[in-house]
Amino acid sequence: MNNMSHRLAGIVRGLLIALMLVWSLVPVIWMVLSSFKPNTVITNSPPSFLFSPTLVHYVNLFSGGNNLWQNVINSVIVAGVSTLIAVGLGTMAGYGLSRIQMRGKDHLSFWIISVRMAPIAAVIVPLYLMFRYLHLLDSYTGLIIAYLSFNLPFAIWLMTAFFDDLPRDLEEAATVDGATKWQVFSRVALPLMKPGIVTTSILCFIFAWNDYAFATTFTGPGTQTIPIAAANVLTQSGIDWGALTAIGTIVVLPMAVFGLLVKRWLVTGLTLGAVK
Amino acid sequence: MADKAESLESTGPPQRESKQRVAPVGAPVHKPRRGFELAMMSPALFLLAAISFIPLFMMIWMSLSKVGLIGGLSFSFIGLENWRHLFGDPQIGSSWILSIIYFAATVGIELVLGTAMALLIHSMIRARNLVLSLVLIPMFIAPVIVGLLGRFLLNSGFGLYTWVLSVLGLYDGNILGSVGPALVAVIGMNVWEWSPLIALIVLAGLTAVPNDILEAAEVDGASYWRKLVSIVVPSILPILLVALLIRSMDAIRFFAIILITTNGGPADSTKIIPIRLYDIAFRFFNLGYAAAVGLTMLVFSIIIANIFVQVFKRRQATL
Repeated sequence: MNNMSHRLAGIVRGLLIALMLVWSLVPVIWMVLSSFKPNTVITNSPPSFLFSPTLVHYVNLFSGGNNLWQNVINSVIVAGVSTLIAVGLGTMAGYGLSRIQMRGKDHLSFWIISVRMAPIAAVIVPLYLMFRYLHLLDSYTGLIIAYLSFNLPFAIWLMTAFFDDLPRDLEEAATVDGATKWQVFSRVALPLMKPGIVTTSILCFIFAWNDYAFATTFTGPGTQTIPIAAANVLTQSGIDWGALTAIGTIVVLPMAVFGLLVKRWLVTGLTLGAVK
Repeated sequence: MADKAESLESTGPPQRESKQRVAPVGAPVHKPRRGFELAMMSPALFLLAAISFIPLFMMIWMSLSKVGLIGGLSFSFIGLENWRHLFGDPQIGSSWILSIIYFAATVGIELVLGTAMALLIHSMIRARNLVLSLVLIPMFIAPVIVGLLGRFLLNSGFGLYTWVLSVLGLYDGNILGSVGPALVAVIGMNVWEWSPLIALIVLAGLTAVPNDILEAAEVDGASYWRKLVSIVVPSILPILLVALLIRSMDAIRFFAIILITTNGGPADSTKIIPIRLYDIAFRFFNLGYAAAVGLTMLVFSIIIANIFVQVFKRRQATL
């Protein structure tokens, strides 16, 4: 009796796990599958599961006039540069903020986290006006500044949390040894922070790469990122679902790989260090 | 590390070393010097100040002005006109009410579903890591692509989910085009993308559940539900609070899914406050009014950020 209910519980558990995987993965699998389907098959109803795969959508995206390469390059530049600046400055500031003893530190933390949490819709409005005035619409600089508005506070806060976790004994030993504060930072603390720096960088890059709201407001023909290219296909009257699912696959796959590379530190990163 | 230890023994100049050793005893030497830390912090903080305070003051100023865009930027001071309008605007009021419904449903369902996912994954012995990785994938997907997938899967002509729902006899019609189902659909897309984050956070909390108490309960013949309610949930409550705060902040930050799927429609049934703001600013170009609406949103996120800092400090103190 007990044995049977035990087995039943096992079966229920297996079914629930299968259901969880189906729920999580079907949309992604369906998108990737559809990107290899001929256009005539994609819009079949009921949906077709058997088809002869084609690369035509990917070939079309990277050839001809409307070339996706430019969007990929734009995305890599704005996400890459904003990540470099945010993580570079954020690492230095995080170390300083973690080691300094001063009054008003709580206010400083609160300010930093408030900037990170500011609603994008609210931030867009004054930035739009400023960029318009400074002729930064449709420029890399404008979009990089916009991405720094969330990536810089994120990097400062998260690197502070990572540095807070670093045991101080080694740094103290180096200080006793006569190392300057800069040497303690650059030769002792920094080499131990590789996981923290890599995690912060990857998350900053993903946030910027995935942004749509800032990009759709601030970019023009020359600076459109890949999410904008996807949205442009979507707003055409006859939607090219083959192209769209192919762009979607290109946007999603590298970020899923990057994200899973730092799975061990994801929970720390995404909770801003509140969960370890 | 080995290098450091070695240099500590061999190369340290003896006089200076002894001076440093004495330092903690002599009070004046121990006076904190913060020049280095401040120098490290200042570049980032100056930049952060520039990209936070300038837009903030700009927004306050805009909210007191009528902003003209045609023929160059122009500001004409109109005092509290925008604010007076804001508090009497029924559309803003209904958008806030809708936002609260959307927000409560999204975050509530995510907490329950994410916790369930975490419990399932936690109970696995084999393939646990692989399943976790697969389940986390939606979290990395750009919101605009989540919206695109929603439109693809829910397309009234050929969508996979439309077909499944109609075969199961659950719903037959244009989901994103109908009041009611459209709201459910955009909530579902958010839940799909962000439940994995809750699962990841709760999973970290489940390691803190006291095993000996669980075993004692097992011996006493406690049922699964009883153990869940009396032991597991109480011990993961603090971490659920962190999950709730993190998601609350992001639920109002991101609006790309709705922007790309329904853009607030049909009949304003998905027009939560960020979408309304975006409409006011970039469809009607009423930028002064949009700034006022934006400031009220900012108040909301600052309150949550404040709670987060308190919780963060308490967690650091206890851990």
